[in-house]
Amino acid sequence: MLGLDDCLAEVMAIPGALDAMVVDHASGMAVAATGGDVDVDAARSAAAISETLRVTMDGLAQSAPGGTVRVDDMLVTTDKGHHLLRPLETPFESPLVIYVRLDRDRANLALARFRLQAISRQLTM
Amino acid sequence: MPALDMLLAGLARERSTGALRVGRSGTIFLDAGRVAYMECADTPGAEDVLAASGRVSEQTLGAARREGAGSRLVEEGALTRGELQHCVLGAVLDAAFFLLQVTGSRPKFRPGERHWLGGQWFFEVEAIVRECARRAAQLTAIWPSAELDTAPVSPVRRLPGHRVVLSDLQWEILIHADREATPLELARRLGRPGYSTLLAVRRLAAAGLLHRPAATALPLRGGRRDREPRPPHDPDAPALPLGPAVNGDPTDLNLLIRLKKALEELS
Repeated sequence: MLGLDDCLAEVMAIPGALDAMVVDHASGMAVAATGGDVDVDAARSAAAISETLRVTMDGLAQSAPGGTVRVDDMLVTTDKGHHLLRPLETPFESPLVIYVRLDRDRANLALARFRLQAISRQLTM
Repeated sequence: MPALDMLLAGLARERSTGALRVGRSGTIFLDAGRVAYMECADTPGAEDVLAASGRVSEQTLGAARREGAGSRLVEEGALTRGELQHCVLGAVLDAAFFLLQVTGSRPKFRPGERHWLGGQWFFEVEAIVRECARRAAQLTAIWPSAELDTAPVSPVRRLPGHRVVLSDLQWEILIHADREATPLELARRLGRPGYSTLLAVRRLAAAGLLHRPAATALPLRGGRRDREPRPPHDPDAPALPLGPAVNGDPTDLNLLIRLKKALEELS
């Protein structure tokens, strides 16, 4: 069983992980981030990550059959690496989002998705 | 009287432990200068959220409260540690957003007092103040007017378009809006955090899905209403004229007449 603080260490143990963050999706707040304390930059990227996910869900909802959408994970590859986001259903209102940026050369995406899934199962019931 | 955040900053510097009671609005629990728990009369507390989640029975909650140990909930297997932390963290920041705006009450500090759910997650006072400011700015960025935060939520009867995308919370707000309940009352009814409800309401407003409150009929200074940004599909937005922009400026007319003449001379 994991806490929010030690789940980051688990995420960073994924091969190729460069940075990671836990974000409260509804408020766009950084709950925990690599590099110790949640600073101003972490707060800004957490808000941006949360907005990215929200807009993606809105967009997908309009193209999805039935018009509703539930995202398991989201992957975007840029020149700076693979960005992997995983929203976690929690018993409380807002989902938590685990975000990890992976090195394009060193990371194995299938393994990373699998590990992130396993971590999220330890974090929630 | 110093503002609440100044008072808190002072208590943080002295690394105080105890409860700061802010009138009837709420209480802030500090542990060695860090915030361990916070509750606000306007927002659901961590206990309410736990009870509403259906994961923890009233009995288990009661037993843990009497024992004064929040960790008991995790030991009994009702929640993971991460879930309890997330619940407390969400409730504290939600309370902070509303409690730190409270003015006019005389806060009282009682040293040594603790909350049984404290200690799951610690917050630096400065980080809480910064997060509250970020949240306020986020609301403004979505929809700049705060008038809908305290007015009854009243959805428009017809969509300003043909199609709309809603989040789960927005859906709940719309079907529970009875045109009397304010966002915070709806939040309590739905067992949802106050801030997320405000966010959802502002997004609904920005999409033109809510009536502006009647309070806009109050005297407005110097046409303030017109300066407020409005989405083009807002029923109150200034109507754009059909066709190309027409300019009533006589010089333009003269120019056209001169052009016409010139063309006629050419042919």
